[in-house]
Amino acid sequence: MFQPVRAPHQDHHKSPIMDTTLYTAKLPYLIYSIQPGNGQSGMRSSSNQQLPVISQTSTCSLSSESGDPCGSAKWAASLLRECAKAISEKDSTKIHHLLWMLNELASAYGDCEQKLASLFLQALFCKATETGERCYKILTSVTEKSRSFESVRKMMLKFQEVSPWTSFGHVASNGAILEAFDGGSKLHIIDISNTFCTQWPTLLEALATRSDETPRLKLTVVTTVSMEKSVMKEIRQRMEKFARLMGVPFEFQVVSELSRLAELTKEELGVQEDEAVAVNCIGALRRINVKDRDAVVRMIHSLGPRVVTVVEEEADFTSSSMDDQFVKCFDECLRFYSLFYEMLEESFSTTSNERLMLERECSRSILSVLGCDGEVEVDVGDEESEIRERGRQWSQRLRKEAFSLVGFSDDVVDDVKALLKRYRAGWSLVLAQGDDDSAGLYLTWKEEPVVWVSAWKP
Amino acid sequence: MLEKMAGEAISGAFNQETVVGSNPPVVKKKRNLPGNPDPEAEVIALSPKTLMATNRFLCEICGKGFQRDQNLQLHRRGHNLPWKLRQRTSKEPKKRVYVCPEKTCVHHHPSRALGDLTGIKKHFCRKHGEKKWKCEKCSKRYAVQSDWKAHSKTCGTREYRCDCGTLFSRRDSFITHRAFCEALAEETARVTAAYKMNNANAGNISYPFMGTSLRSNMVQHFSSVFKPIPSSNGAMDQTRPGLSLWMDQESQTNQAMSNNLTELHQMGSSSIGTVYADPFSNPPHTDYQVNWAFGNKLSSTNAGELTSTTPPLTNLKEVGSPRLASAPSLYSTQHYHHQLPPAIMSATALLQKAAEIGATSTNPSFLESYGLKCNNNQIQDGNKYNDLFSPSLIPTNLGSDLDNSVRDLTTLNHLQMYPRKRPKTLNDDAEEGQTRDFLGVGVQTICPSSINGWI
Repeated sequence: MFQPVRAPHQDHHKSPIMDTTLYTAKLPYLIYSIQPGNGQSGMRSSSNQQLPVISQTSTCSLSSESGDPCGSAKWAASLLRECAKAISEKDSTKIHHLLWMLNELASAYGDCEQKLASLFLQALFCKATETGERCYKILTSVTEKSRSFESVRKMMLKFQEVSPWTSFGHVASNGAILEAFDGGSKLHIIDISNTFCTQWPTLLEALATRSDETPRLKLTVVTTVSMEKSVMKEIRQRMEKFARLMGVPFEFQVVSELSRLAELTKEELGVQEDEAVAVNCIGALRRINVKDRDAVVRMIHSLGPRVVTVVEEEADFTSSSMDDQFVKCFDECLRFYSLFYEMLEESFSTTSNERLMLERECSRSILSVLGCDGEVEVDVGDEESEIRERGRQWSQRLRKEAFSLVGFSDDVVDDVKALLKRYRAGWSLVLAQGDDDSAGLYLTWKEEPVVWVSAWKP
Repeated sequence: MLEKMAGEAISGAFNQETVVGSNPPVVKKKRNLPGNPDPEAEVIALSPKTLMATNRFLCEICGKGFQRDQNLQLHRRGHNLPWKLRQRTSKEPKKRVYVCPEKTCVHHHPSRALGDLTGIKKHFCRKHGEKKWKCEKCSKRYAVQSDWKAHSKTCGTREYRCDCGTLFSRRDSFITHRAFCEALAEETARVTAAYKMNNANAGNISYPFMGTSLRSNMVQHFSSVFKPIPSSNGAMDQTRPGLSLWMDQESQTNQAMSNNLTELHQMGSSSIGTVYADPFSNPPHTDYQVNWAFGNKLSSTNAGELTSTTPPLTNLKEVGSPRLASAPSLYSTQHYHHQLPPAIMSATALLQKAAEIGATSTNPSFLESYGLKCNNNQIQDGNKYNDLFSPSLIPTNLGSDLDNSVRDLTTLNHLQMYPRKRPKTLNDDAEEGQTRDFLGVGVQTICPSSINGWI
């Protein structure tokens, strides 16, 4: 796939400042020029002349490094790693060259490799040019404008139909919540999730059918992500109607004035004394700034919930904020997102809009982690984070704040297993075992754990 | 089966009045209500161990054990016994009833013993036993193997259809879809999940099911609030071909209908509140029906007043469930026909209800308004119509009145093609002539066959 002979293009490199049109051809939203002197000034003309040589060597080195006979098949990973290494070493010529190559080969609409290349290319570019924050803001506003309740709904429902990635967490959490609530008549669920309330219809149905006395349910949805706020209105209507349909006395409230999850307080949530409280965090804890995570867990503890369900993706991006750890973080990102993209490819049909939407979300997320040193200040005080931690790490935090694990009952585990059976092959369930820090259930895709769910009580 | 009903759904809910099984005439051996045994029967209390022992019946000749007495008898025949010994050792064996060994169980007391050994075994397993049998597909658990087998046969074969037309094979994705579906925004409260639970065919006509669902889900529960149609499209399909469809079924289902509607009333008002909640959240759909139904409450000769949407609608909204409970037909009407032109809807629904609803006592307002429709002469006597609309009678007494409204329907059927008419239509036509009702179409006789269907 490498095209070492690129004679016409090489001429461009003779200009002192890298011609950014090459890059902007595929990155229309970026209008910055690369400053070639990223930490290393060089004789540009001389370095440019060296390029053909470099390209040859790098080609050779790359193919020899990849190791497998069909070395070009997983070209994206190797190229990307090289580029990340170059960035961390501040080797600007190499950076340029690799970015350029990636740009040529990447495509957001191509095969899995091309998509991955495209995904990371943007983040790497921003990292190299230190334009991450601005780019992130642009992406965010673009997404906000292009999203609607309809598109979000389609995306979530389709995703849940073809893949258990989110429904795994839903089924396990609902099971734990129902069991913790057993017998209560006034229930209050505090929902901090990124799944747009798609978890709750099945819970409402279960509440209506399981018990003779249908309990009252109050659902408090906490959202800080700006684009969620706009669809919340529609979601509220649907939830209320559906609860009526199910015959469950229902109240829906939204807490949306926060700019950061760390600002959440007990008072804001409106927890009452006689309610049984459950806190449901799906993809939520990772959105808290790393330094505030313990504090938020403490606050949740102070609500006195019957159960706290936590669902997070199994990856460790915590090294992103450390300068010398860029490559390590990058590798982890690459690993995780390769899995995710592969899963998307195998679950969705080739030309699925919903898949594209999910992939765009990934690019935002990656940009935040890699291109912005982990934490982006979208507006003053309004920070969003996407730094994931592994189940083990979250367990440590929760234990530190005096939470203890609630095991999932056999019934719930059976329900999850039955759920997985309804999807294509490749998915399975693994119970965490081993030392003290392990907890919960893992969803695995081709033997790799990808999603972690657990339940805790104070 | 009866024991199952006794143990689970009905224990305590019904008294000595039997629901099933005691209707047949005395010629048949009378079956007591499950759990209420014949007082002269011998009460047997078995220990759990003995109860679960599989081979209680032993052949005296070879010692082979059998689970059931009948099986033992069959086996004994094979021994070629001489005639005398062939007979059972005792005379007609004394009737035996069994109590549940579990002390906390309601069937532990001899007065609530169950009459069948197999029955008590199953009951004990189901209620107090460990659920060893598990469905692979949906992970539901059962204590009794036969229950599990029965479930496995049907599990996963059910299909769920949303009102928007999408078909689902998985219940959870159906439910999630349903909650977010566009169709939910428009429709009135319908039971879907429970309905789907009760009926394998999603798209079937509603009449026969109304009976089964309502009867089987008597508990105050959303699942017992059954909606006549699975989907509005279904309704359209039913009514378009004309009245013949429901007319044919009328005789079978009338009795069921009247029972059902009575039951509908007996349900908690909260259920009905649920039932009625949605229709009235959508004024464009409902103003018409509301007007129509409550027409008699207003000064009815003035059609203009009928068209004013605000007063009756406000009334309706403010009143809440008890009042709503008095007009189930109204609800069903809207439910059925919210997509049809209101004027047409009224008449069609009206006549359908007339055929379906035997229990006229449950909907006097409906009848009065029907009377109103038939002719502008105020027919105040609801009772007259009560008789008329009893299942077996055809409202021949109405005579020309009926003819008029019935004829209405042919025209109406034609008009079904047209888009919904606004209140204006009602206004215009009501002003005119004598027998013009406020449905806005000529009141004429429908094709004779239809009338015959009623007679």
